[in-house]
Amino acid sequence: IQLVEPPESVVEKVSFLFNNLSMSNLPKKTEEMRTLIEENGKEFLRWLAQYMVMKRVSIEQNFQPLYNNFLTAIADKQLEKACKDETFRNIRILLRSDKRQAASNFGDRQLLKNLGMWLGMITIAKDTPILNTDLDLKSLLMEAYYKGQQELLFVVPFIAKIISSCGKSEVFTAECAWIRAMIKILAELHCEPDLKLNLKFEIEVLCKELQVDLRNVELEGVLKDTDRLLRVPQQLGDLKML
Amino acid sequence: ELTLLGVTQYYAYVQEKQKVHCLNTLFRKLQINQSIIFCNSTQRVELLAKKITELGYSCYYIHSRMAQNHRNRVFHDFRQGNCRNLVCSDLLTRGIDIQAVNVVINFDFPRNSETYLHRIGRSGRFGHLGIAINLITYDDRYSLRRIEGELKTAICPIPKSIDPKLYVAEHQMEGGDAA
Repeated sequence: IQLVEPPESVVEKVSFLFNNLSMSNLPKKTEEMRTLIEENGKEFLRWLAQYMVMKRVSIEQNFQPLYNNFLTAIADKQLEKACKDETFRNIRILLRSDKRQAASNFGDRQLLKNLGMWLGMITIAKDTPILNTDLDLKSLLMEAYYKGQQELLFVVPFIAKIISSCGKSEVFTAECAWIRAMIKILAELHCEPDLKLNLKFEIEVLCKELQVDLRNVELEGVLKDTDRLLRVPQQLGDLKML
Repeated sequence: ELTLLGVTQYYAYVQEKQKVHCLNTLFRKLQINQSIIFCNSTQRVELLAKKITELGYSCYYIHSRMAQNHRNRVFHDFRQGNCRNLVCSDLLTRGIDIQAVNVVINFDFPRNSETYLHRIGRSGRFGHLGIAINLITYDDRYSLRRIEGELKTAICPIPKSIDPKLYVAEHQMEGGDAA
């Protein structure tokens, strides 16, 4: 999608607003943004969603709770929808990207983690599901395992960041079937002897956060079921020849 | 201990009365996570903080005439992200160690290189990326070159637009999006 950039003066107003947004001036800045949205129409809304996700949320991880509150305060259904779509769009791009240099590609991995944390915040933490048609988390874990180390390096921390929002949800707790299924796979991965140590830590930290005892998670051998692994929908980039 | 590595430094020639206007322009053009703005006196810190708060900035201020516990409190709150910008005089002696601060502005240019280094320098060898912008008046013109020479660094005129790669982490998104 090609978005029309608003006039420079509007872009600068938005940038000034986000440079100075804080919890204490949230109501005032919310009003300002509502006015901007009213004056600039639908095209602007889509551009704004892209700006928020790409220039702010994915990079300024420290202010994600603030931007989440801001989005909630603006209370514009279209903007919320556009932000969510934009989040999925960026996640898909990063998932499909070339992962051969995963170990050194710190930037992309960090972006994906940040987007994962954000996605959890605007879905799970608000008792809204992540639909398989938008992003199939369980299949993604299986696909990454099938495709190898580099893919796991991207996917495991990403999934862990998303799931860590479970602590804030009434519906999607660590006990619900959807989340449990993923914890089971993570636990199974954790048993793999050649899993990178930092990924093991990532899984342990998540379980501690969710008060799940790894030793009590029953394993189903999902990762041993090769036929099933072969059939999962492909969300990551193709395997590259060496 | 302090290093200027990783910090891209710029200057802009301004008149004293244009400084606030210039600051406004910077805040409309740059992508700022958190910023620190330095003034040369405690009085100017308070005046500037008051002025820009009226203009819609999110800012706190600290200066050397405030009680230490009060300063600590404000600095702690700033570090927590309760506000976006901090106006201050010269009292940070260990260099900025707040990861989120990606823009430092010398609203008043310091008089010596040691002060400059304390304001702009980062502790540790792997300082995070950032930019420093110096507002230079006619009277500062010799100090600018002297400090640049003493610190063996380059302070360049500010370009029309600044590459986000120099101070916005994870800029790679731009490239990824083209795919």
